[in-house]
Amino acid sequence: MAIRSFQARLIYLLIAVLVLLEAGTLISLYVAGQRTLRGIIVNELRVGARVLERILDTRAKQLSDFLRVLALDFAFREAIASGDQPTITSALTNSRSRIDADAVVLIGLDGTVTADTLGGRMAGRKFPFASLLKIAEERGEASGTVSFSGRPYQFVIVPVLGPRPIAWICAGFEVEDRVLADVRHLTSLDVSIWTSSAGGIPALMSTLPPEERNDLIAQMSGMSSPLQPVETTMQLGNATYATLMQSLSTADGSHVNTLLQRDLEEARRPFARLELQIIALSVLLLLVAVAAAVTFARTVTRPLRVLAEGAGRIERGDYVSPIVLKQQDEIGHLATAFNQMQSAIAAREDQIMFQASHDALTGLPNRTLFIDRLSQSIIAARRYGPSVGMIMMDVDRFKDINDTLGHHFGDQLLIEIGRRLEQTIRTSDTVARLGGDEFAVKFTADNAEHAAQVAARVGTAFDAPFVLGDVSIDVNASLGIALFPDHADDPDTLMKRADIAMYDAKKNHSEIAIYEPGRDEHSIRRLSLMMELRQAIVRDELELYFQPKIDVVTERVVHAEALIRWNHPKHGVMRPDEFIPLAEQSGKISLVTKWVIRNAIKQCAEWKRNGIDLTVAVNLSALDLFDSELPTFITGLLSDAGLPPEKLMLEITESAIMKDAAYAQRILAEMKRRGICLAIDDFGTGYSSLAHLKRLPVDELKIDKSFVLNLTESATDDLVIVRSTIELGHNMGLVVIAEGVETQESWSILKRLGCDMAQGYYMSPPLPASKFSEWLASSRWGTGNG
Amino acid sequence: MMASCLRVPFRMRSLLAIAAAFVTLPLAAATIDVRVQDARGGAVRDAVVYAVPEGRSLPLAKKTAVMDQKNRMFIPHVLAVQTGTSIRFPNSDDIRHHVYSFSPAKPFQLPLYKGTPANPLLFSKAGVVTLGCNIHDQMSAFIVVVDTPYFERADNGKATLAGVEPGRYTVRVWYPDMRDEPRPQTINVTGDARVAVSFVAGHAAAPPAADHHAHGNP
Repeated sequence: MAIRSFQARLIYLLIAVLVLLEAGTLISLYVAGQRTLRGIIVNELRVGARVLERILDTRAKQLSDFLRVLALDFAFREAIASGDQPTITSALTNSRSRIDADAVVLIGLDGTVTADTLGGRMAGRKFPFASLLKIAEERGEASGTVSFSGRPYQFVIVPVLGPRPIAWICAGFEVEDRVLADVRHLTSLDVSIWTSSAGGIPALMSTLPPEERNDLIAQMSGMSSPLQPVETTMQLGNATYATLMQSLSTADGSHVNTLLQRDLEEARRPFARLELQIIALSVLLLLVAVAAAVTFARTVTRPLRVLAEGAGRIERGDYVSPIVLKQQDEIGHLATAFNQMQSAIAAREDQIMFQASHDALTGLPNRTLFIDRLSQSIIAARRYGPSVGMIMMDVDRFKDINDTLGHHFGDQLLIEIGRRLEQTIRTSDTVARLGGDEFAVKFTADNAEHAAQVAARVGTAFDAPFVLGDVSIDVNASLGIALFPDHADDPDTLMKRADIAMYDAKKNHSEIAIYEPGRDEHSIRRLSLMMELRQAIVRDELELYFQPKIDVVTERVVHAEALIRWNHPKHGVMRPDEFIPLAEQSGKISLVTKWVIRNAIKQCAEWKRNGIDLTVAVNLSALDLFDSELPTFITGLLSDAGLPPEKLMLEITESAIMKDAAYAQRILAEMKRRGICLAIDDFGTGYSSLAHLKRLPVDELKIDKSFVLNLTESATDDLVIVRSTIELGHNMGLVVIAEGVETQESWSILKRLGCDMAQGYYMSPPLPASKFSEWLASSRWGTGNG
Repeated sequence: MMASCLRVPFRMRSLLAIAAAFVTLPLAAATIDVRVQDARGGAVRDAVVYAVPEGRSLPLAKKTAVMDQKNRMFIPHVLAVQTGTSIRFPNSDDIRHHVYSFSPAKPFQLPLYKGTPANPLLFSKAGVVTLGCNIHDQMSAFIVVVDTPYFERADNGKATLAGVEPGRYTVRVWYPDMRDEPRPQTINVTGDARVAVSFVAGHAAAPPAADHHAHGNP
């Protein structure tokens, strides 16, 4: 729109300039034409006046010559000299007819008319045109236009010589229409002549058309006879006439007026035609100029429009079609710049697109792109089949690697993992890094079996140790498989279920797991539980259960292990293995641990007030070992409760210690320094080295219940492990306890093997604090029966 | 052509003729000295002065005079004669002339002729006879016929009438193209007295168209 208006403005401007120029030219032409016309007309009128004068003069001269020749006729002169009046008159009459004059008059040298051809009308009187006679006396002859009998006449006077002047002969010729016609013919002017005398009705001679002539007669009475020639304009009939009026007074007081006139309309006609031609030419020129302006404007605006269209294409994301302008001027340069900008934008957008859809570290597709491709594959699979499979995986113990070997190493490891993963898949499949140590693979699979094969192949990426710099490390990963349409109908669900499968794999310490239908609800419950856990603390939904730890020798309870329960309003009483991992994952474990410690110490203090002397044991999560403030927190609680530190025992699983043995050792040493008792929980499952164990400042070693639950005299393997562990513990100066004691037989065996303490359903299940108190009072293991 | 001719009388108009007379004592006849001048004191050419006796007539002259025609001119331009003089009009040119006069004193014509006509013409009536040639318009001459033997052409503005008998005279003057005659002067002449008379030429007459040509000589 803007371009169109620019083009229009350009055209309008050009046209306006042209119109102004042409108008100026036309006006100045018109003005010049008018001035020229006026000049021409004035000139024509003056020339006409001279022509009239010349024609009259010539005629007078001619008449004069005629008369002179006549006056020289001897016989005529003789007749005049005779003095005989009748003779003279007849001679005059004869002469008149000879020269075709209208009147002939003989004048004596004294100015008296002696004879005439007018029937003696003038004879005996003074010649009326004395001034004419005077000129004749001075110059030898005279001629002039006079008013005679109310009409214009030319009178000529020549002397009658004998050979000296003996008389004057005067001939009068009426000015005829022919004279006027001659002037008109020569000059194209209209000529009018009339005489004005007092009282007389003037007789008009004119070349004007009848209507104008009548008009002139009507106007005559109001006109005075000018002394000098007057140039004026007259309206006669329908026409306007440029007029030159002249008047000459005659001896008898009358005037002969002459009008020379030019019809302005007619005079203007050639100019009008010229003007018309110029206007036509101007219009033509204007049209040509408009066409040129339009063309020019187009040549200016077309490339602009092309540029605008090009910019529009770029805006719509078309980075392929360049702007094609062959011009070498500024606009051409602009087009080139546009094209460069287009490719630069395209490159940048490609880069941004790549960055937006790819992981910066590994260069693999990121979560967004992965979901996108997964969606595409699912859409395609819906139509054409077969199945779409995806693998969710994360690197086992990546956090440890990262913490131990540094983030740079971790990054390099991730890059290498990505590279290896890519090598395990087909090009039509996708490997993506979803974040952290989490990778995903999308692939087409015919069925679950095929999917498992693919996963196995993917898993080979972790077969060889990773050698980075001078470090060689074995890395494992957990892979979870989910399939469309077997396990999910949409990408989100599919990913969620692959995730669940992965956790299953991790939990089962198997490398690969395929999603099992029904696991999903559990997953959702876990999620909501995570959300509800904090509320649970506030609402006092958590409760501590206590399980007695029995001294095998005295067969009396010495410790009580605090075990947390969640009295969930919907799900009922929940065991810690149902929500503690969630708390660990969601970072809420510290809250839970602190709540447990606080309430355990509170209970312990209460027992102490009731005369029951028990040490309470609390389980610590692996993550709690990273809370450096925890020792201070515990010491604070103990001193607040007025309890010695040895009344609290912290149980830490072997695997938790092994996650970061060095750090765990430090914080455990701190705990120990503060006098708190420490125990290794679930011993026998964490592959801890004896060297490690030796350095740990622990007091107690708890044999994992998996070795105790089925402990019979015939179960030799468990028997060997339990006995060895007891011996190991005792050798290291530790108290050894067995949990999972559920039968009389296992109790007896433990007693026989010299185990220091036992814990299990055989003695008591975990009980709420109130029930535990009752148990203490009633049980044979209780403090009451002593 | 006419225009140039017109200037001549204009000059003449201002002429003033002055005649001065000196009185001496001759034995039996008086002398009249006449002076003709224009207004500026210049001489008036071809003037004729003559004294006409009062109360008596003098015998007619029985003389002959000649008006010649040579080189298409009359010679002399002005010829003064006493009444009764016969004048011959010889044609000295080898072309023909047609001499005529319309003057009342002596109208005549001598139609185309060569040589000298057989008979002279008698001029018996006083007056100025203007001569022309019908063939050659520019030719003109004047014959001044006076009733007295005492006449003279006043060349260079001066003329002397000698041997004038005592008596009373009217002294008059004429010159070509004269418009109004200067007032005649009446004088008494006694013994051999010498009388001086002077005239001032007045305005010239109406322009004679052929005057210039008529003069012929400057």
